[in-house]
Amino acid sequence: MQTAILRESARDDVRGVVFAVLLVAATTLIVFGIIQWVGLTRGSVVYLVPVVIAATRWGQVSALVAAALGVLCSAFFFYPPAYSFEITDPEEVLNIILYVFCAIVVGQLASRLKTQYELSRQREIDLTDLYAFSRRLAVAFDVSEIHAAIQDHLAAMMQRRVLLFSSGRDASERRTAGATPDPVLRKVAEFAAGCDEAANEATVMGDDGELWLVRSVSAKNPDYGVIAINLGLASKEGYATLRGRLDTVLADATATLDRLGVAHAITEARMRAQTERLRDALIGSVSHELRTPLASILGAATVLAAAPSLQNDPRLRDLAQGVREEADRLNNDIQNLLDATRISSEGVKPYIEWADPADILHAALDRCSRRLAQHRLAVDLPHDLPLIRADQILLQQALVQILDNAVKYSPIGSEIAVKVRAEDEHMTFSVSDQGAGLTDGEQAHMWDRFVRGERHVGTTSGSGLGLWIASAFVAANGGSIAAESRGPARGTTIFLNVPVTHSAPPQLESDEDE
Amino acid sequence: MNEHTPVVLVLDDEVQIRRFLRTGFELNGFTVHEASTGAEAIRTSTLRPIDLVIIDLGLPDMDGADVVERIRSWSTVPIIVLSVRSSEAEKVHLLELGADDYVVKPFGMAELLARVRVALRRQSRAASGEPTVKVGPLTIDLAARAVMLSGQRLTLTPKEYRLLQVLAQHAGNVVTHQHLLKEVWGSIHVHDTHYLRIFVRKLRQKIEPNPDSPRILVTELGVGYRLAQDPDNAWTPPPPAPAATAKPEV
Repeated sequence: MQTAILRESARDDVRGVVFAVLLVAATTLIVFGIIQWVGLTRGSVVYLVPVVIAATRWGQVSALVAAALGVLCSAFFFYPPAYSFEITDPEEVLNIILYVFCAIVVGQLASRLKTQYELSRQREIDLTDLYAFSRRLAVAFDVSEIHAAIQDHLAAMMQRRVLLFSSGRDASERRTAGATPDPVLRKVAEFAAGCDEAANEATVMGDDGELWLVRSVSAKNPDYGVIAINLGLASKEGYATLRGRLDTVLADATATLDRLGVAHAITEARMRAQTERLRDALIGSVSHELRTPLASILGAATVLAAAPSLQNDPRLRDLAQGVREEADRLNNDIQNLLDATRISSEGVKPYIEWADPADILHAALDRCSRRLAQHRLAVDLPHDLPLIRADQILLQQALVQILDNAVKYSPIGSEIAVKVRAEDEHMTFSVSDQGAGLTDGEQAHMWDRFVRGERHVGTTSGSGLGLWIASAFVAANGGSIAAESRGPARGTTIFLNVPVTHSAPPQLESDEDE
Repeated sequence: MNEHTPVVLVLDDEVQIRRFLRTGFELNGFTVHEASTGAEAIRTSTLRPIDLVIIDLGLPDMDGADVVERIRSWSTVPIIVLSVRSSEAEKVHLLELGADDYVVKPFGMAELLARVRVALRRQSRAASGEPTVKVGPLTIDLAARAVMLSGQRLTLTPKEYRLLQVLAQHAGNVVTHQHLLKEVWGSIHVHDTHYLRIFVRKLRQKIEPNPDSPRILVTELGVGYRLAQDPDNAWTPPPPAPAATAKPEV
C-alpha cells in the first residue's frame, strides 16, 4: 500500500506543475502590483509562498518547478535591470542563491509532510476497511458470504472492478455486477479447475477491448478463489504499475485471510453445507423406504376393516380402522418430510398454467374430506372467480396443509370456514378455525422449519413442517401467506394470497349452435 | 363376460402388497393371478383370460410404462396403475400410453375396487354397445346425442356436447387434458388448458345440480377430468348386475 502511494502517477505530476506555473504567475502579478503601488524593489523572498503551497499540495516536482520559475521571474521582473534575466548587483546574486536554497529545503520538508499525512490517512482508511472486512468475515454464514467479503475488500483496495470466483469443481461466479466477458469466464474456469498449475496469472482481452487480469488470490491456498480484475483500457505501462500494486494488495489480503482464519471458516461452511445435503439425502431415502411397507399396512388394514368376519365385532372393526388412520397420519408425516427435502435440496419448480381456483379448492377439500369429517365446513366460493396462472398442485398441497392444521388445532364439531375472494391484484384463499389461536411468540415463528407451538408439543402430533412447506409452495407461485389471530384460544385465520394476471386468457373461438 | 367371476392380474414386486390385494379382491369375488416381474405379467396376460390388470410402476425388471405399452399393443384389457404422489406428468404419460386409470399409493381397498369396477363396467358397456351413461341424475344417450338432467333435456353447444361425450365414453375413468383438448378442439390446441377450464365451468353450470360443488364432472388436478361413476351404479360382481345396466333392445 505504501509503495502505491509513494509512486506518484505521471498525471498527478503534470497537474502539479501546471498549478505551480499558475501560482508563480499569480504571485508575480501580485508582487508586481505591490511594487508599482508601494515602490518595493526586492521580491524574490515572496516566491517562497508558491513553493511551499506547491510542495504541500502536489509534491516535490511541482515545488522545484515553482522554485525555478520564482528565480526566473524575480530576476526578470524585479532585479535591475528590469525585464531582463541579467543580474548586476552581486548582493542580489547572493540573495537568489539563498532563495534557491531555502526553496529546496522548504519544498522538501513540505512534500515529506504531505506524504506522511497521506500515508497516515490511507492507513486509517485501510484500518477501517480491514475492520469492516473482519467483521463481515466474523458474521459470514457460508462460503459465498466469505467470498463476497473478500471480493468487496479487494475491490476497495484496488479501486477497480473485481470479481471473485470460488475455486474447486463448483467454480461459479460469486456475484455478477454487470456482464463478465466470456473469455474471462473461460480463463477463470481454467484456473479454478487447476488445470493450469504452472501459471499463476494471465491477462485476457474482453470483447469491449478492456483488459482483465485473472489470477488466483493465493498460490498456496486455492480455497481463497480466483479473481478477475477489470484493468480498464490500461496501457502496457499502466499495467505494470497496477501489477505492482496488485501484488502488494493480494499479499496483504492473503496475510489478512490467513490471520483471520478464513481458510478454516471456508472449510467449516463447506462442512455445514455437506451435512445439510447428507441429512436431506438421508431423510429422502429413509422416507422412501418407509412408504412401501406403509402402503402394505394401510391397504391390509382397509381389507381387514371391510372383511365379513370382522363386521360382526365392532371392536375389531374399530381396531382395523385405527390402524388405517394411524398409517394415514404416518404417511402424511413422511410426505411432509419428502416435500421438505425436495424444497431444500432442489427448490420448488412450479408448473404454471391457467387454473380454476374453484378446482384447486375442491381438490384440497376432497383430499382432506376424511380429516374434515368431524368439523362443520363452511365454504364461501363465488362462482365468477377469474382463472389464475398458478401451479394448481402446489396450491392445493398448501391448502391441504392449512386445512390440516385447522383440523388439528380446533375442537371437534367446531366450524372451519373456507373463503375465496378475488381482488384487483390478487386472489385470497382464507381458512378460519375456532381453535387454539396464536400467541405473539407463535405468530413470530410459525413459518419456520421444524418449529412447533410450545403449547401443542405434548398434546398434538406433528412435524413442524406443514406451514413451512405451505409457505414455500405459495411463494413458488409468486404469492404470500399470512396468519391472523385474536389471541390464544380465539381461533386462527390463514390467508393465502396469489397474484391475479390481468391479461385475460386467449380468446376462444365462438361456440354457438351449429 | 358377465357370467364368470372377473379375473385380475396383479403385477407388483412387493409381496406384502400382492398379499393384501389378493385377499381384498378374493373377498370381493374376484379371481387373482399374481406376477412379480413385468416379463411374468406379460407372459401371464397372453396365456390366460384376464379381465383387468393392476400394475405397480416401481418394478425391478422393467419400466411399468413399458408393460402398459406392451400389453396395450395386443389387448384392450383395462389397466389400472398404482403410482406415487407428486408425479402428475408420469400419470398423464401412462394414461396416454393406454392405462385406463390410476390409484395413488398408499390407497384403501375400497378406493381401488371402485376404480376396478368402473373400468370393468366401461369394458362391458363397450362390448355390449350400450348407448346410455348414467351419472346420478344425469343421463347421456350417446346414440341419440341427448343429455337429460333429472328427466329434463338439456341444450348444450356442440363443443360442450363433444366434451361431455368424450368423458362419457370413458365414464368413471379419468381423461387427460391433452386427450380432451385433442378430441374437442383438435391436436393444435393440446396445450390450451384454459379452453378446458372455461368449458368445464360452463358445462358444470348446466349438468351439475349444484355447480359450486361439482359431483358429476370431477377435476383430477394436474391430470384431467373424470365423469364420476357411483360405484353402486357400476357393474358389481358377482352377477346379476344392478338394474341400472339396462340391456339394449335387440
